[in-house]
Amino acid sequence: MTTEFRSEGASPALPWPVGGMADVVRRRCLRLRSMHRAGGFVFAALLALVALPATAHDAAMSKEGGAPLGASAAFDPQGHLWMVDAKDGHVWLRRSDDLGRHFAEPIAVNADAEPIYAEGENRPKLAFGPDGEVYVSWSQPRAQPYTGFVRFARSLDGGAHFSAPLTVHHDAAEITHRFDALAVDGHGRVVVAWIDKRDLNAAKDAGQPYLGAAVYYSWSDDRGAHFAPERKLADQSCECCRIALAQTPDGNIAAFFRAIYDDNVRDHAYAVLGLGANPSSAERATFSNWQIAGCPHHGPGLAISHDGVRHAVWYEASQGPALWYGQLDPGHPAKRTLQFASAGASHADVAAQDRHVWLVWNQMDAKGYTLMLRESLDGGANFQPPRALAESVAAVGSPQLLMRQGKTYVAWNTTTGFRLLPTNEEAP
Amino acid sequence: MKYLLAMLALALATTCAATDVRPLDASQVSALLAAPAKGERLIALWSLDCSYCEANLQALSRLHKAHPDRIELVIVATDPIAARDSIAQRLHRAGMDGFQARAYAEDVPDHLNYLLDPTWGGEMPHVLVVRSDGSRRGISGLLNATVLQQLEP
Repeated sequence: MTTEFRSEGASPALPWPVGGMADVVRRRCLRLRSMHRAGGFVFAALLALVALPATAHDAAMSKEGGAPLGASAAFDPQGHLWMVDAKDGHVWLRRSDDLGRHFAEPIAVNADAEPIYAEGENRPKLAFGPDGEVYVSWSQPRAQPYTGFVRFARSLDGGAHFSAPLTVHHDAAEITHRFDALAVDGHGRVVVAWIDKRDLNAAKDAGQPYLGAAVYYSWSDDRGAHFAPERKLADQSCECCRIALAQTPDGNIAAFFRAIYDDNVRDHAYAVLGLGANPSSAERATFSNWQIAGCPHHGPGLAISHDGVRHAVWYEASQGPALWYGQLDPGHPAKRTLQFASAGASHADVAAQDRHVWLVWNQMDAKGYTLMLRESLDGGANFQPPRALAESVAAVGSPQLLMRQGKTYVAWNTTTGFRLLPTNEEAP
Repeated sequence: MKYLLAMLALALATTCAATDVRPLDASQVSALLAAPAKGERLIALWSLDCSYCEANLQALSRLHKAHPDRIELVIVATDPIAARDSIAQRLHRAGMDGFQARAYAEDVPDHLNYLLDPTWGGEMPHVLVVRSDGSRRGISGLLNATVLQQLEP
């Protein structure tokens, strides 16, 4: 997709979805005909040709009706469950005091409606600061296909009020800055990483080869009031897979993401994000050698236990679809690797606490989805047989493992409702 | 200036004449995967958010043009049918008018993915080849010259 139309329509400030595309086309065509009669044909035609692609993209990104699937959940330090999702141009924040059985009335994080990505790997994110700060990030589609801005808002009063959203990156080009990932480090700094195509575009302009996109990140030292100028973590990353962030035992934030090596080999890289004066360096951490010039739409997961073991899950399809567990040893193939699922399996997550490791994923078959779980009690050396936690014939989002007061839960958003499932029958 | 006006008029006329994108649901998958009477059916799976997909569609279009009697090309967007106008516009802009075009009409897109090709993880683009002898093959990613040659009927 190389067409570079500019748009006069689909302002990001417009309520979203904008309306039926058929109506938009019809209106524009009618407007053109009347302007033609008025002698304004050239102007009108130009206007229509540049405006149409914008609304096309917006309509395509919206789900007509139904519950939004792109959601994230998190426990706050007091153990309350919160979730964010997006609908009608707003990110909505909800709180549950009874482990997801009931949710309070949603709060609009962004007062003014704007387009929001809320599907698949591109969904609003939620994190808590040490003093109860509520941080929310999302990606905002821009007028052109595949473009976006990373947006952020904070609440310092427990979610009652939110700051006006800000754009995290200083780069204002209408290109890809999306697939945001959000975390808070051990010092309370807010960290955001995302996929960014500025270097791809620069390479194109210079006639240089460049595969995929880049990973950029920024951070805030003042509880999300301002973000530092963004830094590049890595060139030639995958352009459509979520970035996994996890805290290291010393309080830094590590990133695990799908990168591109050689001729479209889509393996993963690991890096500790350097903030302030500290540099970052990403190293290859998986060696599956899956080659694909395409969009896997399948990002990895990462959890780092207190002993520093980097527990990771990732998807690759070099020999058919496969979900893998492994312990990352950046620069070298992962250790203790285990293929834990194959065809029909997708979107795994991992959590670790002391020697206990949890893996969850969606398993599709001809009947529908099953939410699957595997556990290890010996630090990932051996895993128990897989267990089915829940089933759904409705569409589901990616499962998320959440820890609360020593117990582990799975947040599973479906089009028929949000579910919080204990991994242990004794919980809660 | 006359040339510009003519081009604009042509572009305008075609912009307003969209491809008819029809729904694809689970009940129609077996017919789509049934062996064609001759040659092969290429089912080109793509989505609006896949930056590699249009090049694949265009390569398959050229292949079809070289073997119009032996290749049936069906273009299937995994986006919801509610986005049919956006899909039609994008197909038009990619020069892909005139082919059978479908879009997912299932609440659970992964379910259709699974029914179409259970060995496919949803990566895009993806092409399903169904030959007249009943054999099937799924190919993910941008089609290179070698693979395109293998797709010759």
